[in-house]
Amino acid sequence: MQAVTLASPAPDPRRRSFDASGKLTVALLFLPPAVLLFTIFVMLPIGEAAWYSGYNWNGFGPPRNWVGLDNYRFVFDNRAFGIAFRNNILIIVVSLVVQLPLAMALAIILAETFRGAVALRMLFFLPYILAEIATGLIFSFVYDGDYGLLAAICRLFGVEAPHLLASPQTSMLAILIVVVWKYFGFHMMLFIAALQGLDKNLIEAARIDGATRWQMLRFVILPLLKPAIKLSVFFAIIGSLQLFDLIMPLTRGGPADSSQTIVSFLYNFGVTRMRIGFGSAVGVILFVGCVVFAFSYKRWVLRDE
Amino acid sequence: MKVLKFLGALTVGSLLSAAASAQTVVRWLHIEPNPGAIRLWEETARDFEAKNPGVKIEMSFLENEAFKARLPTMLQSRDKPHIIYSWAGGVLKAQVEAGVLEEITPQVREHMAGLAPGAVGAFTLNGRIWGVPHAVSQVGFMYNKELMTKAGVDGDAIKTWDAFLDAVRKLKAAGITPIMVGGGDKWPLHFYWTHLAVRLGGKPAFEAALRGENGGFEGPVFQRAGDMMKELVDLQPFQNGFLGTRNPQAVGAFGDGRAAMILAISSFYATQRALSANKEGIPDDKLGWFNFPAVPGGQGLPTDTLGGVNGWLVTKGAPPQAAEFLKHFVSAEVQTRLAAGGFLIPVAKGADTGLRAAFLQNIARNIGASTYHQNFYDQDLGPSVGRVVNDATSELAGGTMNPRQVAKAIQDAFRQGN
Amino acid sequence: MSDLSHASSRFDPVTFYKALFLLAVALFVATPLVATVLGGFKSLGELRTNPFGLPLNWEMEHYASILFSWRYWELLRNSLIIATLATTLTLIVASMAAFVFAHVAFFGSKMLLSYITLGLLFPAATAILPLFIKVRDLGLLDSYMGVVLPQVAFGLAFSILLFRRFFKDIPHELLEAALVDGCSYANFYRYVTLPLSRPILATVGTIAFVQSWNSYLIPLVMLNSESLYPWPLGIMIYQGEFSAEWHLILAFITLTILPTILIFLIAQKHIVAGLTAGAVKG
Repeated sequence: MQAVTLASPAPDPRRRSFDASGKLTVALLFLPPAVLLFTIFVMLPIGEAAWYSGYNWNGFGPPRNWVGLDNYRFVFDNRAFGIAFRNNILIIVVSLVVQLPLAMALAIILAETFRGAVALRMLFFLPYILAEIATGLIFSFVYDGDYGLLAAICRLFGVEAPHLLASPQTSMLAILIVVVWKYFGFHMMLFIAALQGLDKNLIEAARIDGATRWQMLRFVILPLLKPAIKLSVFFAIIGSLQLFDLIMPLTRGGPADSSQTIVSFLYNFGVTRMRIGFGSAVGVILFVGCVVFAFSYKRWVLRDE
Repeated sequence: MKVLKFLGALTVGSLLSAAASAQTVVRWLHIEPNPGAIRLWEETARDFEAKNPGVKIEMSFLENEAFKARLPTMLQSRDKPHIIYSWAGGVLKAQVEAGVLEEITPQVREHMAGLAPGAVGAFTLNGRIWGVPHAVSQVGFMYNKELMTKAGVDGDAIKTWDAFLDAVRKLKAAGITPIMVGGGDKWPLHFYWTHLAVRLGGKPAFEAALRGENGGFEGPVFQRAGDMMKELVDLQPFQNGFLGTRNPQAVGAFGDGRAAMILAISSFYATQRALSANKEGIPDDKLGWFNFPAVPGGQGLPTDTLGGVNGWLVTKGAPPQAAEFLKHFVSAEVQTRLAAGGFLIPVAKGADTGLRAAFLQNIARNIGASTYHQNFYDQDLGPSVGRVVNDATSELAGGTMNPRQVAKAIQDAFRQGN
Repeated sequence: MSDLSHASSRFDPVTFYKALFLLAVALFVATPLVATVLGGFKSLGELRTNPFGLPLNWEMEHYASILFSWRYWELLRNSLIIATLATTLTLIVASMAAFVFAHVAFFGSKMLLSYITLGLLFPAATAILPLFIKVRDLGLLDSYMGVVLPQVAFGLAFSILLFRRFFKDIPHELLEAALVDGCSYANFYRYVTLPLSRPILATVGTIAFVQSWNSYLIPLVMLNSESLYPWPLGIMIYQGEFSAEWHLILAFITLTILPTILIFLIAQKHIVAGLTAGAVKG
């Protein structure tokens, strides 16, 4: 606080009349970097995606070959896109049905203080901060048919090791397991933070009233956690929509496109083939999906908060 | 602030070190996984540097699939490599049209007279030379004689598709994995469909399809190719999890003796050793080869071949020394040495005398006598259509598309040209 | 469970099941990580016969060969440069903008904030191809800045919101008093806001750093020279080269996630606070 009086230089008399406090200056100097960066690298590209998506263009020279909405038709006609879409839904479903209850159960146990609770919280949170690439590689080892941990477990029981990542029927299952492994800790932490913010008196009151554990959970804790649950669902869905890094080291979207996500589809079919128009169309579809979801979620689900 | 200073120091440091070396650097990006071949290549580069003071050849490696995925973005950057690998065909054409390559006609024209005209032609568009070929290859079945004998199959006697399917059945009955394939990379699977089409329709069918006649790639020849490929797929001839196996793994596993056959590019002769666990692979006396079998009623000749013409392109803005180095790299002397190492079928005239292995001599004879040498479809049909051929044929192998859907997907892509 | 002395004196089945459940999850989480670290000490053959246990024979050479390789340190250097630049830029640019949004009311301020908040709604992947073209046209392909600027831009919205919320909590009287004393807004930002904001600077900085450190798609598309690759790109190349030599790959993975884990242990408070920040209503 002393710094204010000590370090503030003598005010410039010429500026005193106009913008004496430097209010305007600060707005004119402090805002443009952020606004420019954001406009050039976020908003313009999104606008350009919509523009490019009308062209058949490989990125060289200016886009010339206008094809109207053809790129969108090609995207929706593409079998792999259908699979990618389905997989994104699948990831959301598993996040909601498996991951959130798991995270919630762990949060309720670990929100209490006992020896080792903090260490366990940290352990469960650890996968979340590991890079997706590293996680993917670790699990491609776990699933490896020759050297992997899963193969070793299978050998223990005398059954042949399944090549989970190599079969179109099981590749998504394998990826879903990794998704749960990596992200449940994050949701658990969300819930723990929320649980610690709860009014202890309410819970105590319920206990004194003789509520059973189940009743406490069902009628006291869960309703109080509603805001946290809504947020967790929000993150799970947004996270699913952008899942990519994890897919690349595990399957690159294969085999036979069985584990594509929308973003891996965009990468494999748009970026590596330099089909700017086609890829931009996928981007626009994803963008619309994200924005529509975010707005309707905000409007319909988060409206009372 | 300290951090910024430190970063500043770093950038200045790297600028200085770059400026200190006042020599021309030629950046050479390759995809050769075989350390044996690389040793020879490096020698060649050092050779060239010794003869041309002030030039430095910098080699860097990218794995085949990573290279293909990266190339389109890489070609647009300022610091692109000067020499890149190429399979010619439609991909080359697209690169030329995009203006990312340096025309090298004046520099190399005379030198090209010393190379096989067909191979040079693959890198010539409208009389302008865009690249230097360095090897040719043939696609066919490489097999493990021991395993075949164990199942009572004589590889050399497989001349027809039916005999081939029969061999697959016998191998399966004997508990041997009939065929290894790197389905994860997709293109190894497209060989089946493509080579069946070559056998079924020959050159006329392919050219008609390019002109959009006879239903294009949806025409009867290509539908039939899909049907026959499905016949094979239905026998479940491939190793477990073949759709996830990458090609280098598959070639290595064949070298380890884990399957009887592999539909191979002839250059796998050397890579199956380099990629096998013991680095020795299948020795010459146990390694067999038969050409892709003939099909009943096929219009193609048994002497038609599917294979690659591989070479090197010079990217826009590369120093002239890049093309000079390539001339040195495909000189008869260097080619002879590489042929002697068993690493390639050379394109320099007279270099085939270097071929010591009977295996490669046989391939060279096949290619020499070829009545129609079809380049790999996935390269020949251009970047977008080629990738769809790979996608669709691997879906056929995975059972997620039927032959009609495959043909339609390819024809759609071809029509879109997108 | 909350009281261990009770648990030991009277057997409580619920406590028992809870403990069992925790143990199962802990094993599920820890086994792959531990096996990865230990795998780097084993030979390929032992990896196959003894994937879970301690190595019978501690082979140091895999780790040593990576630690003594130029390649490993180059990857870390690149990641460090990129992440440091991204973090520094994010802190400066976002805190400045947030300061204005928090303290200066001007016409259109609300709209401008909503405009930037749009950035929260979609990931960089949606615009990756036009972004590539943009970076190319700016001549930034294959440069650190070509990765850093998009990363910063896509992280701005979240960072600005976090900063703004914190800045708004700084008592308004403080600003008024300073203004009366003749202190300018800029000086207030420099000498009051920033020194008071260490916790939020640490939080935003840690998130920006971790996200940049781990990011894959943007460098994948923008960088082509191996000498500029951050570690996620490098490790994928490494895996392509040593596809079946898992002991080497596992050692490499361990050594590349080590910095992340160290940062996590040092700054866990900020990471947890920052990454779960959305849970606290703002």
